[in-house]
Amino acid sequence: MSPAPSTAPGIDTALAALRAPFVAGDQHTFLSDLSVGELVLLEEIGFRPVDIVSGAGAASWNTQFTTAGTEGTMWGRAIATAIDNARAGILEELHSRRADGVVAMRLELEREHANLLTCTMLGTAVAATGGRPDGAHPFATTLSARDFHLLVRAGYHAVGIVIGVSVVGFAARSAAQQLGLARDNVELSDQTTALYSAREQAMEMMEREASELHADGVVEVQLQERPVNAMLTHAVEFIAVGTAVCRGTGGHRDLDPEFQLTLEDPPDTTFGDR
Amino acid sequence: MVRPAPDGGAGAAGSAEPGTGAAGPGDAVFRPDRRRRTTWTSDLSVAEAAAVRRVGLVPAGFVMGTAVMQLAAAGGQLYGQWGGLTGQSLGRSGGYSEAYPCAHGYGFGANVQEHYGFSVEDAVLAASLAEGYRLAIERLGDEATQLAAHGVVGVDLFFENLVGSSGTATFFARGTAVVHPGTPPLPSPFLTNASGQHFERLIALGYVPAGLAVGVGAVYVQPNCQARGALAIVGPNRQIPSAIAVARSRARSSLAATAHRSADGVVHTEWTDRRVHRYGESWDQLTIAVGTAVRRYSSEAPPLTPRPVIPLRP
Repeated sequence: MSPAPSTAPGIDTALAALRAPFVAGDQHTFLSDLSVGELVLLEEIGFRPVDIVSGAGAASWNTQFTTAGTEGTMWGRAIATAIDNARAGILEELHSRRADGVVAMRLELEREHANLLTCTMLGTAVAATGGRPDGAHPFATTLSARDFHLLVRAGYHAVGIVIGVSVVGFAARSAAQQLGLARDNVELSDQTTALYSAREQAMEMMEREASELHADGVVEVQLQERPVNAMLTHAVEFIAVGTAVCRGTGGHRDLDPEFQLTLEDPPDTTFGDR
Repeated sequence: MVRPAPDGGAGAAGSAEPGTGAAGPGDAVFRPDRRRRTTWTSDLSVAEAAAVRRVGLVPAGFVMGTAVMQLAAAGGQLYGQWGGLTGQSLGRSGGYSEAYPCAHGYGFGANVQEHYGFSVEDAVLAASLAEGYRLAIERLGDEATQLAAHGVVGVDLFFENLVGSSGTATFFARGTAVVHPGTPPLPSPFLTNASGQHFERLIALGYVPAGLAVGVGAVYVQPNCQARGALAIVGPNRQIPSAIAVARSRARSSLAATAHRSADGVVHTEWTDRRVHRYGESWDQLTIAVGTAVRRYSSEAPPLTPRPVIPLRP
């Protein structure tokens, strides 16, 4: 940013600035997909925007014959690879921009053809104005600017995105069940068990990744669970993505929120259309 | 796109007629003088209008810029008909191109054409889109200039009808022109895609919008067997992520280039990645980024440490 004149902000000064020819500052033009309000929130905790960075990864797998007893490791690994490659790509861009991290990162998973997954990441890279400890790796987080601001104020810092992926197969139902002729009201325990073990394995993987980053915990974990029931494929897919965080040297700081009671009336709930 | 200097824009400056260029809307579709000037129009919400008024601006009128374009594409799909395509040379496109041979590798020839894939940067398509946006933005600015407005807030920039082979697109830019009464007009009005409320915040925090910044990137993708999801070829895929990375990187650099000439940074970037399907299984991987280039005009903005609150009744 160019050195700004010290005048109180107001529309007159702003318009006057537009009449003057632009003189580029010594710093690079920053790019951001955040609003100015969000950038101010980041500036307040010592981060300035640098650039928009992105990463993408894709992988495919063979879904056929994934059923009881098979753990779909190739399938699970393919999904993990797609996400991991996108993460590696965005971290590499952070390195090349000399940025310290990326916040409010959009993480999108797009499926095609039932066996091909593309993962894309995009967000605003930020640099710490006060510098970060030596050897600190760039971090990525899906936390919004607001959540990241609160996280830092509470005495934590983000260390990276962690993922957990698992695919577990289950037994196909009998032909009668498939056709919907079964009238018994029973639990499909195979499927319940498969979901449980998929969850367990995915969370284990996520915890393993977090401990490799020496994190104290993981926040904002988002889960996606998807049963796949096709002719020869009976499996549960489980994906977890979260942000690993570390407590800073100053320890936890209470945000000490203020309670607020609005004087505005809520909508009528008795005869409202809820 | 950042508007050019006052006398730089085609058909923008001085002349009372908008878009006097041959391909422009011609004989003044927009004639503010013929309208009754006792009232103004806007597409602002009530809250936005209030925010703009708090800053000291008043709505001058709803303004719009539009252009219908024939989209030129590099014709990348033709390359797919040619055999033996290898390496990094794809004729006139000049930019990124990469071949993805069939991954099956069976048979003596091991060169099954239908499984062949390649990606080639479609700089021609990207340029068509950028030109469409440029025209729409320029005409939007022209209308604002005729209203003696100081700027346009809440600019909505988009295109429609990018349908397969018809190859045409209509570009729109629309927003509400605002004026600061009693102040002489600017060399060219500022434009921003920020809403009225965000504009208020922008000014209060010491930033002023300089103009719109637009970046476009396009890569034509003819998927090979793996990128089509062939069940026998599995594992990490390079073709799809590389196409996305190149399209995004081109959009990012042109966004940065337009901004660099006139601003300290770009905020409010609306980032769109989309796949536009083309012949057969091929597609155009498109990235479009539209943001507001901003200048910092004051560093006196008050420090801001928002107080966390918990509403007792949500």
